[in-house]
Amino acid sequence: MLSVEGVTFRYAGGDEPVLRQISISAPAGGIFGLLGPNGAGKTTLISILAGQLRAASGRVTVDGTPLEELRRREPASLGLVPQELAFYPMLSCIENLRFFGGVQGLGGARLRERVAAVAAFARIENVLARRASELSGGLRRRLNLAIGLLTEPRILLLDEPTVGVDPQSRSFLLDSIRALAGEGRTILYTSHYMEEVEAICDRVAIIDAGRVLREGTLAELLRDPAAVVTVRQGRSLDQLFMHLTSRSLRD
Amino acid sequence: MRGLIRTLTALWTKEWLALSRDVHGLAVLFLMPAAFIVIMSLALSDVFRDGSGRPVDFAVLAADANAAAYLADGIAGEGFRATPAPASEAAARDQVRKGNPALILIVPAGFGADPSATLKLLADPTLPPIQIAAFLQRVQGATLAVKSSSPPLSLEVVGNPRGGRPSSVQQNVPAWLIFGMFLVVMPISALFIAERRDGTLARLVSQRVPFSMLLLGKVGPLFVINLVQAALMLAAGRTLVPWLGGESLALPARWDLLAAVAASTSLAAIGWGLLVAVASRTIEQATVVGGVGTILAAALGGIMVPRFVMPESMQAWAGLSPMAWALDGFHAVILRQGSAADIALPCLKLLVLAAALLAAALWLHHSRRAG
Repeated sequence: MLSVEGVTFRYAGGDEPVLRQISISAPAGGIFGLLGPNGAGKTTLISILAGQLRAASGRVTVDGTPLEELRRREPASLGLVPQELAFYPMLSCIENLRFFGGVQGLGGARLRERVAAVAAFARIENVLARRASELSGGLRRRLNLAIGLLTEPRILLLDEPTVGVDPQSRSFLLDSIRALAGEGRTILYTSHYMEEVEAICDRVAIIDAGRVLREGTLAELLRDPAAVVTVRQGRSLDQLFMHLTSRSLRD
Repeated sequence: MRGLIRTLTALWTKEWLALSRDVHGLAVLFLMPAAFIVIMSLALSDVFRDGSGRPVDFAVLAADANAAAYLADGIAGEGFRATPAPASEAAARDQVRKGNPALILIVPAGFGADPSATLKLLADPTLPPIQIAAFLQRVQGATLAVKSSSPPLSLEVVGNPRGGRPSSVQQNVPAWLIFGMFLVVMPISALFIAERRDGTLARLVSQRVPFSMLLLGKVGPLFVINLVQAALMLAAGRTLVPWLGGESLALPARWDLLAAVAASTSLAAIGWGLLVAVASRTIEQATVVGGVGTILAAALGGIMVPRFVMPESMQAWAGLSPMAWALDGFHAVILRQGSAADIALPCLKLLVLAAALLAAALWLHHSRRAG
């Protein structure tokens, strides 16, 4: 269980906190969906969990152990798939995989084995020798995912991993992510696509302006009065989201 | 430890691959300084032969202090300024090797009485030949007041391996080599900002790769590139410039000292590049700050305009530029055949600067991360 309790964060020079006393709980072996409009604080929260930013207050634990301590003990226990295509376009796919494996301490036969495994999982074996800059959008997303899986992390942070891909690649990515959760991982998943969240997430939190507005299982959320009205209209989570976060543009 | 070595090896390999595929960045690093060396060495060759109007410090060393003072008074003026005499000929050589003063006249004992007594002039090899000739004329004028005929005079250029005068190429090769080394600010910042923009840096930080390790991962390959630059630029001065009609670069005997100066210069240049990379938000910003900063440091530090043609007040300001420190180091080895002691101060300044710039880059990164 990944628990976030009372996490607050404000960017240097910023007037308002980006996160205000955020608390969520993501169970092991499940996918936790983090929904929110642009600027809600989703990526900031992911960045804090990934160790890129330091929270001003609050704590993050995994089964009661502070995440920082767990990562000191097991540095590869957490994997991040950022929303950017975070690899080197001038390197080939295999060079990227070897590099990101190498910086995490993988070497020799173990590195070769993991590169082959994640390439097979993401179905990029046939393009390993190609430069990343020459790949299609779907293949780039799959390479981005494969890099995050190199060390078999028990906690996986997926920040909008399906942005800009065609329906076939999206379907493949969602199936793959579901399979990863089945292996007992804790997966935190952010997305703008309600149908994705409804399709693969076990628990969902809707956040806006740095606050958690609702958190629960999909069934619990759909029992919310705002969602019940819209269930009859067949729009459920999407309508609840719009009701809670309002229709005003955010950026 | 094994994990750290693996991480560093992976970072160096990635940096090599990325740099080797950045054709434009490499072209800037190698072709630009080479072009400057050739163009400026040829263009300024006459200027160097003609000399300049810089006031030159000199001293007179004689057994008889009164005679020394008398001669110094006679020589001073017309752009030559007398300074206190050194204690011995050995001290005189040491001072000239450091370029301060640039000229020391050694008067043998019994000079006034012995018609065959020969004056010896020790000269700094960076001094324009026209100024040495002018000084010799003033020496002859001053000695005629003591003796009825001009005394024999031997000239020794201290530190120049060829025993001759420094050429334009000996000024311009180290100068543009230093400039080329500092141009690493361009590929460092471009790659670093692309890493930040594309999220690879964030991904590496999330993989608990220490930021200091990421910076160290850049230092290794760029350090090697800088040393290759140094070797190629010295080779260009040795072969390309004479092939195009200029003078050949005279190389020093102490390659180890040359390597030490090149290494110190490289680390300072890489430190500058890393700070610009971390501080800049965009590639455009890094190009402006890094590019303009490098050009200003070059203009101030005697790269574009040799320091000896600058006014004295300007020369004092020139001492603030790290490129001037590097140039001092290269001149100590290439022109003056100096010792380890002669390059110690410029190298120390460059290394302290490198450490300070690296520390500033780390501090800036961590202060941003804290929010």
